[in-house]
Amino acid sequence: MQLHFNLEVDKLKSSLLQMASLVDQQVDSALNALENAQAELFKEIKAKDLEIDAYDNLIQTQCANIFALFQPVASDLRFIMSALMINNQLERCGDIAVNIAQRVKKTTAQKALIEESQIVDMGKQAKDMLKRTIDAFINNDIELANKVIDNDDIVDGYNKKIFKFLITKMQSNSELIEPCSHLLILSRHIERLADHAANISEDILFLLEARVASHQKKLTPPKDEN
Amino acid sequence: MDIKLSIKNLDAYYGKTKVLHNISLDIPKNKAVAIIGPSGCGKSTFIRCLNRMHEVVGGSITGSIMMDNEELSKKDPVLLRKRVGMVFQKPNPFPTMSIFNNVAAGLRLNGIRNKKIIAPIVEKCLKQAALWDEVKDNLDDSGANLSGGQQQRLCIARTLAVDPEVILMDEPASALDPISTTKIEDLIFELKKDYTIVIVTHNMQQAARVSDYTAFFYIGELVEFDVTSKIFMSPAKKQTEDYVRGRFG
Repeated sequence: MQLHFNLEVDKLKSSLLQMASLVDQQVDSALNALENAQAELFKEIKAKDLEIDAYDNLIQTQCANIFALFQPVASDLRFIMSALMINNQLERCGDIAVNIAQRVKKTTAQKALIEESQIVDMGKQAKDMLKRTIDAFINNDIELANKVIDNDDIVDGYNKKIFKFLITKMQSNSELIEPCSHLLILSRHIERLADHAANISEDILFLLEARVASHQKKLTPPKDEN
Repeated sequence: MDIKLSIKNLDAYYGKTKVLHNISLDIPKNKAVAIIGPSGCGKSTFIRCLNRMHEVVGGSITGSIMMDNEELSKKDPVLLRKRVGMVFQKPNPFPTMSIFNNVAAGLRLNGIRNKKIIAPIVEKCLKQAALWDEVKDNLDDSGANLSGGQQQRLCIARTLAVDPEVILMDEPASALDPISTTKIEDLIFELKKDYTIVIVTHNMQQAARVSDYTAFFYIGELVEFDVTSKIFMSPAKKQTEDYVRGRFG
C-alpha cells in the first residue's frame, strides 16, 4: 500500500516541519526577550506554546496511526520512530522558550550583568544549533547533524564559564545573589535547549544511518545475553 | 456523513441454518469498509447479501438492507447488481474474450452496442483500474493471457464499466503476489473517491491499510464496527483485540 502510506507520511512530515518552525520562532522570541529585556513577550510566547502542544498531540496520534495501520519496516519504521523522538524534543524546546521568557521578567534590570555573563552569546549558539538541526532534518544532512552534536560542547563550555562567573559575582556582592540565581537558571535552560538540538541530530542519525548515536561518549553497551 | 448502505437486524440463512445473526451497521458513502474475521464467520455471506447474490446460492434473509433509503429486496436483482458490482477472490475474466471485450461485456449486456460509445468507456475503466498503460497496445489479446494481478484489475475494470455505485470485493488480492497486491490496494485507495467499497479480507494488515472503517465478524455476529484506526489501536471489545493481535482461540 504505497499511495495511502505515502500520503500519511507526507502529512506527518508536514506536521513536524510546521511544529519545528513554530519552535524556532518561539526560541527566537524568548532569546530576543532576554537580550532586549522585553518581559512583555512572555504572555505571547506562553500562548503560542499551546500551538506547539497541539502539534505534539497531533504528531503522536499520526505516528500511532501509521504504526497501527501500516506496520512500517526498515527506513519507514526508522522515520516514524524518529518523528516520535524529534516531536518529543521539539515540545521540550517549546517549554524551554516559555521558561526563558518567564525568567526574563526577573532580569530586565540586569542589562550589564547579562552582557558581562555572555549568556546572550550562549543563547545565540544554542539557537543556531536548533536551526541547523532542523535544516539537517529537512535536508537529510548527516554532516550537519554531526556538527550540531559536536557544537553541544561549545554550549556546555559557555554554561561552565557562566556558572563560575555568576558564583564569583555572588561571592563578591550579596546583592547580586538573586539576579545571578535567575541567570544561573537561564543558563541551565539554554544548556538544555542545546542538548535537545543535539538529541534531534542524534535522532536524525538514527533515521539516516540506522545507528543509535545517543550517549556514545559516555556509555559502553550492556552485554547482550542472547 | 452520507450513508450509502444501511443494514438493520439482518439475519441470513442457508436453508434453515442461520449464518448471520442480527447484523446492523451503516456503510458510509465513498469510504472503504473492511470486513474481517476468521473463516466461517459470515464475511462473504454478508457482502453477498448486499447485491442479493446470497439468494442465487439458495440463501434467504430477514431484516432490512437499504441503499440510498431504498429497500434492496424491492429492487430488480439484475438492475441492483449493475449498481452494486462485485470482484471475486479468483480473477475470472471471460477466457474466450479479448481484453477490450471483457470490459465491454457488461455494457453490451445492458444493450449498448455502439463501439463509438463503448471504446472511450473501456479506455476510461482500464485507466481507473490502473491497467491501461500495460494493455493499451494489446486490447485484442485474450484476457486470459494476462498475469493474475492484471486479470484481477481487468475484472475491476469490467465491474467499473457498468458504472456501479458500490463495489464489493471478496478477498480480491488473496491469490496475488505482493506487487500485484500493492497495485490492487492502491487502486482501492483511488477508487473510493468515486465509489463506496466493501472489502472482505483475511489479511488484517490489508484491512488496516486500505479501509476507513472495519467490521469484525465472529460466528455470524458483528462483534465491533468502528473507524479502522480505532479497531487497530484501541478496539472496544476484547474479542476484537484478541483477533487483531493474532491471539484468537
